[in-house]
This record gives sequence, structure tokens and C-alpha cells, in this order.
Amino acid sequence: MTSAPPTTTKHPTGIVKALGEEPVFKPGDPVRISIRYPVGHYRVPMYMRGKRGIVELILEPMAVNNEEEGFGRNAGSKGYYYRVGVSLTELWPGYAGSPQDRLVIEVFECWLERI
Amino acid sequence: METHDHDHPDVHQKSAAEPAPRYYEIMETAVRELLVEKKLVGPGEISRQIEVLDSRTPALGAKVVARAWVDPEFRARLLANGRTACESEFGISFYDDTKLIVLENTDKIHNLIVCTLCSCYPRPVLGLPPDWYKAKPYRARAVREPRAVLAEFGTDIPEDVEIRVSDSTAMVRYLVLPQRPVGTENFTEEQLAEIVTRDAMIGVVRVNLENRSTP
Amino acid sequence: MNSTENLVKRLPNDIGGLPADRIQQIDHELLPWEKRCHALADVLDFHKIINTEEKRRGVEQLGGEMVGKLTYYERWIVAFAFILFQKAILTPDELAQKMKEVESRYSRSTL
Repeated sequence: MTSAPPTTTKHPTGIVKALGEEPVFKPGDPVRISIRYPVGHYRVPMYMRGKRGIVELILEPMAVNNEEEGFGRNAGSKGYYYRVGVSLTELWPGYAGSPQDRLVIEVFECWLERI
Repeated sequence: METHDHDHPDVHQKSAAEPAPRYYEIMETAVRELLVEKKLVGPGEISRQIEVLDSRTPALGAKVVARAWVDPEFRARLLANGRTACESEFGISFYDDTKLIVLENTDKIHNLIVCTLCSCYPRPVLGLPPDWYKAKPYRARAVREPRAVLAEFGTDIPEDVEIRVSDSTAMVRYLVLPQRPVGTENFTEEQLAEIVTRDAMIGVVRVNLENRSTP
Repeated sequence: MNSTENLVKRLPNDIGGLPADRIQQIDHELLPWEKRCHALADVLDFHKIINTEEKRRGVEQLGGEMVGKLTYYERWIVAFAFILFQKAILTPDELAQKMKEVESRYSRSTL
């Protein structure tokens, strides 16, 4: 599958970063957690699928996707994890607590969709 | 899920005649010995790691919290990077190569930590988690009805205080920095450390001068 | 969705938000073998013989019945055995022989 070539991000110093080295999302970005069903191992709980939240924090440094680590990949193909905040009223229709109550969870980049 | 352990209350008794090991213990011994025989694991590695585990208890986390209460600059460093603050100022190593984010409770936010998928826990700073933290009721309910869960621990959080639940899924571990209770203005750092409980650093209770829960 | 699909899609450890009982504030001091098992898990991760995520995946793949009925460290040691077989580090027969030998030490010593 081909897609449009990614635009090159040039740092003021002239340094070009490798593909995937820059986080795709930044704090404050609204995101949706993808709805999909990996077979055998996953680290995004079912209750998060399809829910909307806000990126709160980029977790540094990049790390291996732990869904791949689960099958013995200890190095290579690193990416970013983010702390994503979701309102409990978004997660649980009819949530009885305060509307400002929130859940924050680490999600690997490939699970996040921009909205 | 964890009830099986409690079918065997006699296991804590140490008698002169060592009881014959059960199936899973035999398996553990066999796996360990085979790995040592194959030189995949060094002969002293397991016993050394047991010493590491035994050296980590909630008292360690309590010292970190007490320091944060008395030293605003340390508090700032701890909140900026929990791991490096614990490493450089308390010598706490992160043997499991996890990161640590310290979550500060305030008048407006009450933090609670959970691992719904397994049992992620800040072991380098608090030691091993209690059974209830690893069992289904807490893991299933903390994310869905945190206020009801807190009530079962005797903790009532006012409606205008935000509950913030952190579900741990990857390489970050969380430690709650509880609020310093009123009436402790004259306490020394050591006295403060004595009142900080494990459960307060998980976020299920407050640090309370009257009701000290089990550490 | 047919009824078996969900057995594949939802892992047995994925319980966040499911209905559950009141919290019993239980704890127990680890038995010596449980603590050894925990130390073994750490050491296996240090050497990346079985990393922490593989251990989690191994426990999940024990399936719902074992995840529900075995205790915490019982799940771990069985998962370790399966993963070590998959990686051809141990063979099933090797482990069976060793377990028999370990058991015989105790039956002899208690005579």
C-alpha cells in the first residue's frame, strides 16, 4: 500500500529526524481510541475502544510496542506512548459520580486516531 | 480468584519436618534448577533478587512522601521525574526498568491507581502489592465506580473534588502523593513517614492521624 | 457476533469495568516458593529469557478457566513452563523428569 510521502520536518538546526522519531500527537490533542481486536495479546482494555479523550502527556523515551514485546520482540520498531485522559462519563454511560471524574491511561501511538 | 491461597492456612506454620511441596512448588523448583543447570540463570541470582524484593516495602515510599511534604524543592523534582528523584536522593533502584510518575493529591484532585489488565504496581518503591489489588473486584470496579470503591475503604471524596483514576498498562508506574494531614505541622520528617500508609500511596485512603490503616 | 468470537477477542485478564463483588481487603505473606517464583520472573526478564510482557501474554493464554482458578503464582509458573517449551529452552519431558526427581527428594527425606 502506498500513501503520500510524509512531509519532512526540518529542525532550525538543519537536523532531519528519522521517520517515526517525532511524536504524532501533542498534549491537548483530542483523540479517539481505535476499535479493533488484536488476537492473542493487547494492552488497550476493551473498555477504552472507541472512546474519545485528550492526550495529556508524551511518554519519553520511545519504547517497543508492548503488544509486540508480548511475543518476544525486545528491541526495534519503537514508538511513543501517551497518557490519554478520558472522562468517566464518556467511558460509562450513566456514570453516577461527578462529571469531572476522569481516567488516565497509557496508550501506544498506533491505537490513537486524530479527531 | 485468589481464594485458593486461603484454603491452606496451615502453610504459615513452620515445623521441624518440612511439609512435602505441592505440585506448583515442585514445578517452580524444577524450572529454576533446569535454568541454572543450563547456565541461563546464575546460581545466586534468584536469592539475590529475593533480597532485592525484601528490601522494598511501603516504608520506603513513606520516606519519599514525607520528604516531599517537608522539602518543596524535592517535591518539585519528584513530581517532575519520580524515578530520578527516588534514585538520586534515596538510592531506590528501578530494577524492573519502569518509570515512575508521582500523582499529587490536592484540594481539587484525588488520585487512585489500578492495573485492570494485570498487577502493575510501583514495586521498586512500595514492594509487592496486596492481594486485593491483584484480585478481580478492585481491578474491575476501580475504573467504573471509583467513588463506590473508595467508600468501601472508608474514604469519602466530596463531589467537587475530581477523582482521577490511573490505569497502568505499560512501562510507567504510579505513586500517589497524599495530602499532608492538618495537625502535623510540628512533626519531624521521620514522624511524618510513620503515618504514611501503603493504601494512601495507592490512593484508596487519605493519610489520617486517627485511622491508620495497615501498612 | 457468534458466541465463541468473544472468547478470542476479550482476553481473560481484561476485566476493567465488568461487574464484580465487594472488595475484600485480603492479603497474605508470600510463601517461600511464591517469592522464589516472583524473583525468577524478575531474573527471566533481566535476561530477556521471558520478558514481562511475554509473561503476561503467557498467563492470558492459559485461558479463562486456568486464569480464574489457579492462584497468582501458580499461573506464573505454568505460563513460564509453556513459554520455555515454545522457545525450545526446555522440553516437556525434561521438565517432567525434573519434577519427578524433585518430588522424590522429598518423599525420601520424609521416610
